[in-house]
Amino acid sequence: MKSNRIAILIFSLIIITATILAACAPAATPTESATVAVTEAPVVATEAPTEAPVVEPVTLQYWHTHSDAEAAQLDQVIAAFEAANPGVTVESTRYAYSDYKTALLTAISSGAVPDAARLDIAWVSEFADQGALSQLDGNLPNFEAIIADTFPGPLSTNVWQDHYYGMPLDTNTQVLLWNKSVFEAAGLTAAPTTMEEFAAVACQLTDAAKKTYGYAEGGTYFWAPAPVFYAMGGKVTDEKITTATGYVNGADSVAAFTMLKDLYDQGCLSPNLLGGGIATDAGHAEGTYAMIIDGPWMVDIYKGNYPDFEVNFAPVPTGPQGTTSSVVGGEDVVVLADSQNQEAAMKWSAYLLSPDAQKMMAAVGQMPTLASLVGDSAMPAYFAVFQEQLKTAQARVPHPKWSDMDNAINNAYQRMLKGDQTPQEALDQAATEIDALLGK
Amino acid sequence: MRNKSRHSDIIPALIFLLPGLILFALFFLGPMAYSLRISFFEWKIVHPERSIFVGFENYQRALSDPIFQRAVLNTLAYTVITVVVKMILGLSVALLLNQQLPGRTFFRVAYYLPVITSWVIVSLLFEYMFNGQAGLVNYVLKDFLHLIPKDILWFADEYLTLVPIILLDIWKGIGWAAIIFLAGLQSIPAELYEAARVDGADSITQLRYITWPLLGPTTVFLVVVLVIGGLNAYVPFQLMTNGGDPLDLTHSVLTLMYEATFGRLDFGYGAAISYLLTGFVFFISLIELRLMRQRAD
Repeated sequence: MKSNRIAILIFSLIIITATILAACAPAATPTESATVAVTEAPVVATEAPTEAPVVEPVTLQYWHTHSDAEAAQLDQVIAAFEAANPGVTVESTRYAYSDYKTALLTAISSGAVPDAARLDIAWVSEFADQGALSQLDGNLPNFEAIIADTFPGPLSTNVWQDHYYGMPLDTNTQVLLWNKSVFEAAGLTAAPTTMEEFAAVACQLTDAAKKTYGYAEGGTYFWAPAPVFYAMGGKVTDEKITTATGYVNGADSVAAFTMLKDLYDQGCLSPNLLGGGIATDAGHAEGTYAMIIDGPWMVDIYKGNYPDFEVNFAPVPTGPQGTTSSVVGGEDVVVLADSQNQEAAMKWSAYLLSPDAQKMMAAVGQMPTLASLVGDSAMPAYFAVFQEQLKTAQARVPHPKWSDMDNAINNAYQRMLKGDQTPQEALDQAATEIDALLGK
Repeated sequence: MRNKSRHSDIIPALIFLLPGLILFALFFLGPMAYSLRISFFEWKIVHPERSIFVGFENYQRALSDPIFQRAVLNTLAYTVITVVVKMILGLSVALLLNQQLPGRTFFRVAYYLPVITSWVIVSLLFEYMFNGQAGLVNYVLKDFLHLIPKDILWFADEYLTLVPIILLDIWKGIGWAAIIFLAGLQSIPAELYEAARVDGADSITQLRYITWPLLGPTTVFLVVVLVIGGLNAYVPFQLMTNGGDPLDLTHSVLTLMYEATFGRLDFGYGAAISYLLTGFVFFISLIELRLMRQRAD
């Protein structure tokens, strides 16, 4: 019996030792190879024929959420950057949009951050507020000159507490898409140009029996009604972002939501926006939705899914003041505060805003942020309507609590559609909620 | 002498357990303790040293938040309905599969198949079936059976949204409950049924006095595991309600925790929610075990 126990004890000790040794082994290998690499590097450098200063090789980590086609094009941009900057290598990592924020937060909290990243414009102030981003003004060489050529709307999304924490990388906005064959079947030849016309056409093109609708929105989150909201003169807060009362529940904002609510009640705005219906992109191509409002990426989406569908864009119809507007979307490039390669990361960011890089990405539908590229022959023709719309498009409130504000408006929109509250009551409540977020 | 031999048993046991215990402490206990700490702070993810200690404020905020209260109600309703239905249907299926049926293996596989399908894929599938404008369910109800006058927007209504979520969980969970019940059934000695038949007991009586009492431990196990699983519901809620749509009325506790933590970066609040859930699950499991012990005995 006793010898048996001793045998078990010895056996278990052997297993433990083996486990510990096995665990140590992989750690040892990289250390060795690292030492080799370090000792070899200077030899190569000294053998170089030119007397150029020895540049420490730098590998930058760049995170993004590009699509397939865009990611392939980004590789070309990286190759061009690396050719122009010997010693700097860019490794790009692609994330799904839905996982991206979590991945960034995990990286930031553990300190293992990418050096640079492409962020949704609505996130920059949020991450800047957390202290995760490097301030670019005063740190990035030539910063003023670079941003001088960018559109003011996209640029403004990078400002947090009077400093810049990013640069506008690509921009977009939403315009009206109208299904020509549905319009022509009803004897119409052109998209509506005023909101009055828009509402009338939306109802004219609705057929309850066939379950077709004149207009559809993808949801009730602010991005969806935002073009109509801004074109009707709606405002979320004042310029200085101090209060929402009198703005999000002001007369123009209420009028915008009242128009949408009326269209919904008349059955001219598809009920899919409340969830669980036919998606706007498919519905528009198949004629279920005569009009939708969406962005430049729709061209590529339809190219893949509905190659025969003719996409027609028009500016967002004008509101009572006779002005059009829309909402600014897009991405900014930021440098992470915890990056060990600040200088190289800023160089890479600046390169992404160069006309060369911007033109390359434009070929796959990424709209440049440089004013000097408007009308450039390298731009796809359908950019024109978006660039025109961008002149009047407005950015969502650049504030770290924007996600919560968006939620407040989203909920208000739902309450009025369901008939729980009038648009005025719903937006009054949203104003109170947003004021609380602004610390009032 | 006896004590000594027991002592010498412990050392090898500990040595065998040690690697597992180290991993458990490193990847479970450590993070749990850390998130308990976070729950008492207004936590700054990038600069934890700038976090502000707020005591129990996050917990108070959660308990007084109508959205959290609603999430708790949704989760409880979901748990109670799905657990009860899965137990009843699971036992029925197990009783059927325990018979000498032709093609028994086929049916056993068929009932278990939903269990191994991906949550994400079947959630999306149910979302398509319950589509308000072009879904199969509306077609059957309206155009085929003429039970409803017009299409139902399932996902636009805070109560109706729970229908596909609950149906999905039941459909997916019956097979697992059935397999566990089946294992329990097969451990009941056949002699008991033979003796009962000799005494003239019909099948209902056999079920009542032999099967049900002897399935006691199996039932306890199933209830505890299914309730814990129900309270931790996440994927179908997240996918089918987009995290709380409409109006944040359709959250489960975990989707709200996720949204607070990773959507709004409110880490302290999210940690407090997960600790409230943990405490509740722990409490419920204790009660269940106590109540069920009587049944198991």
